[in-house]
Amino acid sequence: MTTITPPLAHPSQRARSTSLSFGGVLRSEWIKLRSLRSTTWSYLIVIAISLGMALIMSLSMASGMNGGADASSMPAADQVSLVMQSSVFGVFFGQLVAGVLGVLVISGEYTTGMIRSTLTAVPKRLPALAAKAVVLFVATFVIGLLANLGAFLVSSVVFAGIDVSASITDSAIYLPLLGGALYLALISVFALGVGTMIRSSAGGIAAVLGLILLVPTVLQMIPAEWAHDLIPYLLSSAGLGIFTSTTAEPAGDALGAWLSLLIVLAWVGASIAGAAVLLKRRDA
Amino acid sequence: MITAEGLVKRYGAKTAVNDISFTVRPGQVTGFLGPNGAGKSTTMRMIVGLDRPSEGRVTVNGKPYAAHRAPLHEVGALLDAKAVHTGRTAYNHLLAMGATHGIGASRVREVIEMTGLESVARKRVGGFSLGMGQRLGIAAAMLGDPSTLILDEPVNGLDPEGVLWVRQFVRHLASEGRTIFLSSHLMSEMALTADHLIVLGRGEIIADAPVADIIAGGTRPRVLVRSPHSSQLADLLAAPEVAVIRSEAGVLEVTGVAASGIGDLAAQHGLAIHELTPLSASLEEAYMALTADAVEYRTEAVR
Repeated sequence: MTTITPPLAHPSQRARSTSLSFGGVLRSEWIKLRSLRSTTWSYLIVIAISLGMALIMSLSMASGMNGGADASSMPAADQVSLVMQSSVFGVFFGQLVAGVLGVLVISGEYTTGMIRSTLTAVPKRLPALAAKAVVLFVATFVIGLLANLGAFLVSSVVFAGIDVSASITDSAIYLPLLGGALYLALISVFALGVGTMIRSSAGGIAAVLGLILLVPTVLQMIPAEWAHDLIPYLLSSAGLGIFTSTTAEPAGDALGAWLSLLIVLAWVGASIAGAAVLLKRRDA
Repeated sequence: MITAEGLVKRYGAKTAVNDISFTVRPGQVTGFLGPNGAGKSTTMRMIVGLDRPSEGRVTVNGKPYAAHRAPLHEVGALLDAKAVHTGRTAYNHLLAMGATHGIGASRVREVIEMTGLESVARKRVGGFSLGMGQRLGIAAAMLGDPSTLILDEPVNGLDPEGVLWVRQFVRHLASEGRTIFLSSHLMSEMALTADHLIVLGRGEIIADAPVADIIAGGTRPRVLVRSPHSSQLADLLAAPEVAVIRSEAGVLEVTGVAASGIGDLAAQHGLAIHELTPLSASLEEAYMALTADAVEYRTEAVR
């Protein structure tokens, strides 16, 4: 800290020729996301959970099967279903990490004061929120997809030992893998909205995890039909429908993949809309 | 150029800023003074749109801050040295800030060099001292090479060398024709740095004038008199408009009479005088006089 450099004699023209753009804000948010250790850790944990859970799940399914009927004589559709269940099992746990990361992306800025720098650079505010959502969505989707693909490979290797197999070109495999990644990405964006509204890490994480883990259980315990009727429309139940539905369209009690996705999108939309209104209105 | 018209900011029942209007002109350093809680930081936050005025408006170079195509090229602001994510390195912080405006790595390296942060640029900000945090805040403010700089307490936590650096830095920027708006609690520093002063007390402007005018107008000149006959002299000087303070044995501080008047009076009565010194008023005294009624949090005088 001993050097004193006189400021440049002439304002640099190069720096002045640029202006604020959404592409720039996207790049800024990408730099912010990748330059924090919490991001790296969260994504590594998502991948580790997916691979680990796929290994545990496929091993336990495979060992249970050896004692029973010859697994290789199972219908192909049942074999595919086994591999699929094992491959996306990690998403149940990964969603918690994606939710925490989504909250931290914005609450970390509020707790450190960084938000004032962000909103000074992007004074219209909403582009900053939109860019955060886009960057978080894409990054989480890519990581989720890599994690699910890895989990599929792990499951395939384990199931190959008992002659159960499934192909990734089968839509009953690749759609759940994509759906699981999509759900993780949407959860992180939902959590971003919650974090923006609550502005605190602890409060935001509690709200998101409470909604995912606690609310379904509480509704289950209420001895009333309306409570049970609500359960499929909860964020985590509908999310489950995105990557475990056996049907695309509603069938019987099942909502099907598309309706489940719509319900999750409604949750995400409500969260981001609330965040946008409050971000625009409140003093930073 | 910053123009505020009828700015009001209320937080619930409390009015932090009460109908203030002022202009900060280019080519000079405008100091923003006032006791804690007077509304300085709130006013500065309203200029860059972080706080929304309850009433009135403030523009920078003719437009509200948020309406500019490239806000960081219009205004660089250091509002809070802690407005940085502690888990990120200084370099990445500046890179992310600049990226919003398409400002690249070469300009980031320029401002790092300009503020002397080379050795810590790749370290996480959480471990920074207050002084390094201030330098990083100034580096961030300079990213867009702005024509207007708003610096809230920039010398807070800096060592004497850093204080000198900030003073030279802002004087240089003003000489380039930029608008500099600077708040500080250090009156002596302000006297050396600022050309013009806006003094805020209890959310209202109590002075808006060149520094020299405020120093001259805020206090009455005092004269220090050292004499073996100090008590006789004090009796002779006694008059309604004259105040005499006995600061120590044989020494008087006289307000309300010029040094020549005291000398003449002493000569008429044949009293010896060992010292007769007009005391120039300091900005600090002028400031204390101005804000005496406007202090939000007053402390008991030390007895």
